[in-house]
Amino acid sequence: MSLTGIGIEAINVFCGLAQLPVPALFDGRGLDRQRLDHLMMESRSIALPCEDPVTNAVNAALPIVRGLGDAERDSIEILITSSESGVDYSKSISSYVHDLLGLSRHCRVFEAKQACYAATAAVQLAAAYVSSGVSPGARALVIATDVAMVDARAGYAEPATGHGAAAMLISDQPRVMAFDLGAFGTYSYETLDSARPGPDFDIADVDASLFAYLDCLSQTFADYRTKVDDVDFATTFDYLALHTPFAGLVKAGHRKLMREQARASVEEVDADFAARVMPSLRYPSLVGNLCSGAVYLALCSLIDNAPYTDGARVGMFSYGSGCASEFFSGLIDQGSRDELARMRIAEHLAARLPLTFAEYAEMLEENKQCLVPVPDREVEIARYKRFFEASAERGPLLALRGVEAFHRKYEWV
Amino acid sequence: MEQNDIFAMVRGNLSTVIPELDADEITMDATLTDLGCNSIDRAEVVTMTMSDMGIHVPVMEFQEAGDIRSLVRLLARHTA
Repeated sequence: MSLTGIGIEAINVFCGLAQLPVPALFDGRGLDRQRLDHLMMESRSIALPCEDPVTNAVNAALPIVRGLGDAERDSIEILITSSESGVDYSKSISSYVHDLLGLSRHCRVFEAKQACYAATAAVQLAAAYVSSGVSPGARALVIATDVAMVDARAGYAEPATGHGAAAMLISDQPRVMAFDLGAFGTYSYETLDSARPGPDFDIADVDASLFAYLDCLSQTFADYRTKVDDVDFATTFDYLALHTPFAGLVKAGHRKLMREQARASVEEVDADFAARVMPSLRYPSLVGNLCSGAVYLALCSLIDNAPYTDGARVGMFSYGSGCASEFFSGLIDQGSRDELARMRIAEHLAARLPLTFAEYAEMLEENKQCLVPVPDREVEIARYKRFFEASAERGPLLALRGVEAFHRKYEWV
Repeated sequence: MEQNDIFAMVRGNLSTVIPELDADEITMDATLTDLGCNSIDRAEVVTMTMSDMGIHVPVMEFQEAGDIRSLVRLLARHTA
């Protein structure tokens, strides 16, 4: 039996073409290796200077759009990019993405911003639009896309920050996940836990950020419970996919709810974490934090790696600094695994070329210019040829070749 | 709420977060970091205690709370 209702018809992630082994970053920065366990990170995706939020978005969504027939593609009536890496104060990333994906001109095109949360807001509004019946058969494409701006100043957040995009096609054919419509809990308030005040740097208050994440997880779940009867955190959800800035925080969040909601012992918490949460952390531990795409990277990891054989309910938590958050849920089944397998995410992650710390440090200076507004800039794509060659079986990928009179220019490699 | 009651709550929550901790080590003069709390553990102890007390303290205020005594005083101030 296939999934019915409203939800995710197709999902894909693009997590760059280069990666830096996290131990090499620890050594390069002189960080304490004992804290590696706490982060639970193996490698992190690193941008090439010819990548930006537009190329990430297009490269994530392209396999989804290519899989559609003409009529299906033209039924995409809404394109929302979610990003904290805007390329202009006025023009959205989605303007470029809409053109480069060849979507219908009869499409609402815009961008959403709320740190690592905005993609979920977009997904929920898109699902409500599809289910409203105002435009039968309509689809919406939501793409969470970002680039990293962390450097040595970020301390232990630098090894946990990723690079890439997650694309979700929302429709009334939920082959990947059928949402539990109406089952959600939200919690938002103003706080300055982390932010990006300029185009080339982030600020973060680590303690405030951890606090807000843990607080919001409890509060959103409490709100979810007010909307859904007979919910039990320990038994209602077969699996959990939580926003993953780093796996250690997910572990703490899970532990907190298991204690609050299930009064679980230390041993019970550990066993439950291994069974219900660990499958969602495999890809995040290889990529790093994908900002508002992170919870969807965790979902992909879960669908590809969890041992479910029949329908399974997944509890999801999305958190974005500033702050806004939501707990929601949906159903996956064997068809979800088959659908996602076509995207070959694990293979693509394995094909990323490793960088040395010195190569990373050199690229970082150029990468930090990615969003700085300049009228003209040239990017020599040929310098990064080997990275594209290593991922050649993916077919043509989009790259940034420069900026001309503030207009970003792209080409297929 | 009496500071002794708040201290008992902090102590209980610390033992929950770090079960292997020797309860005798938890004194008013100790800092959470000295007791082996990492940043996540600290956040958990404080959020759990706020939840027990039914109060909400702006996160920024906790940066001034070094040892457990100042943490307890801060929490007590918000119950007054």
